[in-house]
Order: sequence, then structure tokens, then C-alpha cells
Amino acid sequence: MDAVLLAQEYSAFKRELDQKGIIFSFSGYLSEGILYSLGEALREKMALEEMDGPTVRRVFSVFVEQMQNIVRYSAEKLARDDPQPIELSAGMVTIGTENDTFFIVCGNAVHNRDVPRLRERLEFLKGLDREGIKTHYREQLRENPEEGSRGATIGLIEIARRASQPIEYDFAEMDGGKSFFCLKVRV
Amino acid sequence: MTTERLRIAATGRSPEVDFDFDSGVLRLKGESYPDDVAAFFGPVLGALRSYLGESAPQPIRFDMELMYFNSSSAKALMNVFQMLEGAAKQGRPVVVNWYHEPDDEAMQELGEDFSLDLQHVKFNLKESPAGGGR
Repeated sequence: MDAVLLAQEYSAFKRELDQKGIIFSFSGYLSEGILYSLGEALREKMALEEMDGPTVRRVFSVFVEQMQNIVRYSAEKLARDDPQPIELSAGMVTIGTENDTFFIVCGNAVHNRDVPRLRERLEFLKGLDREGIKTHYREQLRENPEEGSRGATIGLIEIARRASQPIEYDFAEMDGGKSFFCLKVRV
Repeated sequence: MTTERLRIAATGRSPEVDFDFDSGVLRLKGESYPDDVAAFFGPVLGALRSYLGESAPQPIRFDMELMYFNSSSAKALMNVFQMLEGAAKQGRPVVVNWYHEPDDEAMQELGEDFSLDLQHVKFNLKESPAGGGR
């Protein structure tokens, strides 16, 4: 491709992201290491904007829980055990500001068989008010984790608790018995 | 045999641990969102369990000075609190000091979440100076 077009194409892509208020966006294989690095960048950005400590931690907390959901539950993973273990999970994360509030959107593939239960959980959380979310958190804190959940139940409650507006989610059918799951949280 | 003092230095994503079993002062400080929660908290819970199993029922002070912890760490911390409540129920004096920054309502509320079923542990919510961390 012509170098001029190359720059045009990617500056248009970047402009589109900028216009949507996106601070950063990452798509591809995610890991705990990437979570840590992006988290540091996010906190530095918020520190530069002189946001207060509790707000920074609320945004950071939603970011961590969202990212860990992808790392743990993405239905598209690459893994090996030897010589040293590697686990990469496909997904995307986008962080930006909209009308002076932060938003964090995460997306990843999930197996269709897991969709009804995930939808049910999210719908339940959406229907709770602040007190209800607090009570639910307190109950789940004292529950033993569900088989195969690796802690997602309380992670989603934590996300809903730190959100300033009701969480938004959606599913889109993909090939191979999978769906693309998207969760948008405003803090 | 007595349990040896457990000291773990803080990393970018795991807290400083100082469980001084001789004096009975146990402390967690910093932030907790380790990439492998079981690997991090396993030895911490193990040392605490071993200490609580010893015969000398000396008083315990647990200083909870975390600025942030993720939901997986919350489950591990709940285990710590349940172990402390168990020890207190058997007659061991246990005080938990839960620190939060003055303006950090979320951390204050988490303290309330954790203290709900503590009946024998003396639980104090305490303000730590603002700007003590990030």
C-alpha cells in the first residue's frame, strides 16, 4: 500500500477512536501481564487529570474485574504448559470518557452453552438497586465459589457496585457455537 | 514449635505481609490483585492457620491497611476473617483495625461488609491519613 494512504487510513482510524472519547483500546491476546501494564497506564492518565483517589480506585477496580473476566473466561485461548506456562486469552478492552464519566467496555467470545447463565446473572444485577447490590455482595462473599467459576460471581457484583449507572451488556452470535459478549460499565 | 514470622515484600500487585506471630501483630498493607490469588494467599493462610493452632492464646491485633483489593482477594480475606473469628470465639482476644482514607467510602463500606458476622472479634474502622498510597 502507498505510504500516503497508509497514514490516511490509520489516522482516520485513530480519529474515529478520538471522537468517541477513547483513551486507549486494546484488541488481541490478553494476559495478566497486559492487565498490569494497561492498568498502570490507566492510573497514570487519571493521576494526570488529578482525579481523586476513591474515583481512581473505582475505575481501576472495574477495569481489573473486567480484564480478569476475559483472561479467565474467554472462549478463545491459546495455552501451553512447557517449557514455561503461557495462557493468552483473546478479547478486547476499550476505555474512554463520555459526558465526563469514564466508561470501560470489554468484549470476548463465550460458549453459547454459557450464555443463558451469564445473561441471567447480568439481568439480575441490572435489576438491583444500590442496597440490593450491597446485600448480594455480602452474601456472595460468604459463599463457596461455584464449580468452574474461578470467582466470576463476586467479580460481576463488584463491577455493578462500582458502576455509576446500570451496566449494559449484549451478545452477538459467532461461528463455532460461540457468541461475542460485550459489557459496558460507566463509572 | 512456634510459627515463624511471615514477611513478604510488596510488589506492584500484591501487598506487604508482616505477620509477627511473637508479638501477635499481623499486618497487610498496600494493594492486592495478584495474578494468582491461590499462590499468593495460600502460604499466608497456611501460616495463620498454623499460628492459631498453637497452644498459647496470646492476643492478636490484625491491621488491615489495604488501599485496594480485587474480588478474588476479597474471598481470601474473608477466609482470614473467618479464621480470626474462630480463634476469638475460643477465647483469644482479637482486634481488627480496618484502615481507610477519610474520603474513601467504598473501602469503609467494605469494612462493614467484612465485619458483619464478627461477634467475638473487636472490629475498628479507622481513618488512615489521605495520600498514603495511590
